[in-house]
Order: sequence, then structure tokens, then C-alpha cells
Amino acid sequence: MKFLTTNFVKCPIKGCQSSLDAFPLKYEECQLAQEEQEYNPEFLCHMLERLDWNAILKVAHDLGNDSLPPTKPEDLDPIMEDDQAILKDLHTLLLETQVVDGKMVCKNCQHIYYIKNSIPNFLLPPHLC
Amino acid sequence: MLPTPNVKNVDYERVYEPAEDSFLLLDCLEEECEFIQSRFKDIIPMVTEIGGGSGIVTTFLYKNILPKAIFIATDINPHACEAIVNTVKLNKGDNNTLKIPNLVDSCQMNLTSAIKSETIDLLVFNPPYVPATEVPDIPNDPEDDTWLDLALLGGEDGMVTTWKLLDDLDTILSPTKGVAYILFCARNNPDKVAEIMRSRGWNVETVILRKAGWEVLSILKFTRV
Repeated sequence: MKFLTTNFVKCPIKGCQSSLDAFPLKYEECQLAQEEQEYNPEFLCHMLERLDWNAILKVAHDLGNDSLPPTKPEDLDPIMEDDQAILKDLHTLLLETQVVDGKMVCKNCQHIYYIKNSIPNFLLPPHLC
Repeated sequence: MLPTPNVKNVDYERVYEPAEDSFLLLDCLEEECEFIQSRFKDIIPMVTEIGGGSGIVTTFLYKNILPKAIFIATDINPHACEAIVNTVKLNKGDNNTLKIPNLVDSCQMNLTSAIKSETIDLLVFNPPYVPATEVPDIPNDPEDDTWLDLALLGGEDGMVTTWKLLDDLDTILSPTKGVAYILFCARNNPDKVAEIMRSRGWNVETVILRKAGWEVLSILKFTRV
């Protein structure tokens, strides 16, 4: 599971649908791995537009990374040296960082979901469907 | 004609093997290629295939239709979730020349239950459409030998699973550009489904229809009016 995907998944339990605490999930006891990806700064800038920066900050914090800028970097220019450094960092974090193993906890209902072999499992026991 | 992805080392005792319905979906997406590319030319779209199985359709979308997209493929079957990721990697090959990262992930879930609402721009679903007395229960054990049944059996009219999705379609698809391609067989009464969905405010169009063995398969496209 790529770090990027944490920006799009939430607790699937119906009662958590309208709760602001059901997203992002809280990531605990995670084992990470780096997987090399093509670096494409223009694509990355474009993609940033649709990401929820606060969720990125929270998940990065869960995984022990507090080095991100507090607000979403805007108008990044892949030609500028300073912007390049930020883009490289984001590339490494969002696209190359894989959560191989770990837990995802809903901050609303406390249900725990597991990630195994890089695949998150959001199936619910029948009584919660 | 766009190339069909290679699929290798998938355990077809547990994961749905690409068949006429899968290939119809590929042909449909090829036909719709221009529409899809122009609809999403200004954004990085979120693409979700429900029940990705072997990964052939998601891989086709990534390689041939929307290389610059974020993909979350879902399946309730853990073996399929593994197969999807492997098939994308197996076929990545020449995308390296495009310098596009592989943003395909697979997640084990029911339909799109764990994906944020109103986020999916392009949704593709080849559902379990075979009429049956009931939709099978999800096995507890990954080694269970009934995983494959879940890919096929769709309960009454073969529509139980598909209706669960259609009833929620408005909260699943992104508000303006969202589009869904869903496969039906004649016994699902696709004309009746289209009529009901139109009355709920959807544009429904039959993109492709084909006789495949003893089945007549079609794919409907849903967009907001």
C-alpha cells in the first residue's frame, strides 16, 4: 500500500460515514519499505492539487515523519532548486513509501484494520456490514 | 488496436480467469478511450475497478487509457488483490519510457466501502452477474475453495451486488466528472435497470453489446445529467 493511498481510504463502517474522525485512519506499528518509482515532477505537482494536505501530515506523523511543511506547498516549479528538494521529498514519501505491514485504526469507532503483504484489508465482520 | 495485458502465474482455482466478459470490458474501454481521456485531461483522475480479479482491466486502463491517474483497485478476494498488483508490475515494462510512476494499489474491501465518498472519477465494474439463489458469504479462511463463487454468483436476477453499488452511485462518484462503466448480462434486465437509473437522474447509455456463447453481455455507461 502506497502512502498516497492513505489519502483516499477511510473507515468503511456505515456509522462512521459522517464522522470527521473516520479519515484519515491512524497508522500504527507499521513496517515500511521503499519501492523505486519514476520521478516525474510535473505529474507530482498536478497530483498535489487533489490531495488532502492535513491528512498527509497526520499519516506522516503516525509514521514518524514531522518534516513536512505545515501548509500545502503551492505553485511549485520543478526548475527552481528549493522546489526541487520539496518535490523529491514528496515523491519519496507519497509514491515510493510502501506500508508493508501494520494496523489502521478508525479514530471514531476504534475498529482496527490490518495491512499484510502491502495489502490493506477493509472487510468487516457480518455484524458490522 | 490496444494491446491486451499479459496475465501470468495467477491461480485460477481462486481468482477469476479473464473471459469473454473481461475482454468485452477492454473493447468497451478502447472504444471510450477518447471520451475518457478528454473528460479527465485537466485533472489527475482517481480510477477504481471493483472486483479487479486477475488485474487485466486495471492494467489495461493504466497502460493504454489513463497512465496519469491514481488507481485503487478493490476485490473482496485476497488472492485477487495480490494478482492485481502483480499483473500491473508484470506489464509495466514500456511505460518506463513515459516516465510515469505506477500508482496502482489494490485494497481488500466490499465494493468501494473504504474509499472516500465522491472521490472516484472513473469506476469500472464487472460484477458477479450470474442469477443464483443467493450471494455467497465471504469465507473466513484465505485457503477456502469458494472464493471464486463470489466472482460469479449475483443472487436474484444476478443483480443483488450490482444494485448495492447503483443505489450508492451518487455518493461514490465525484460530483461533476464521475463516470461508471458496468457490465450486465441479458438476464439482469439491463433495459429495466437503465430505466430505473434514468428516473433517478442518470444518463445511461449502452456502449457495447455482444453475444458471448449462450450469454448476451452489454456494458452500460452512467453519468450525471
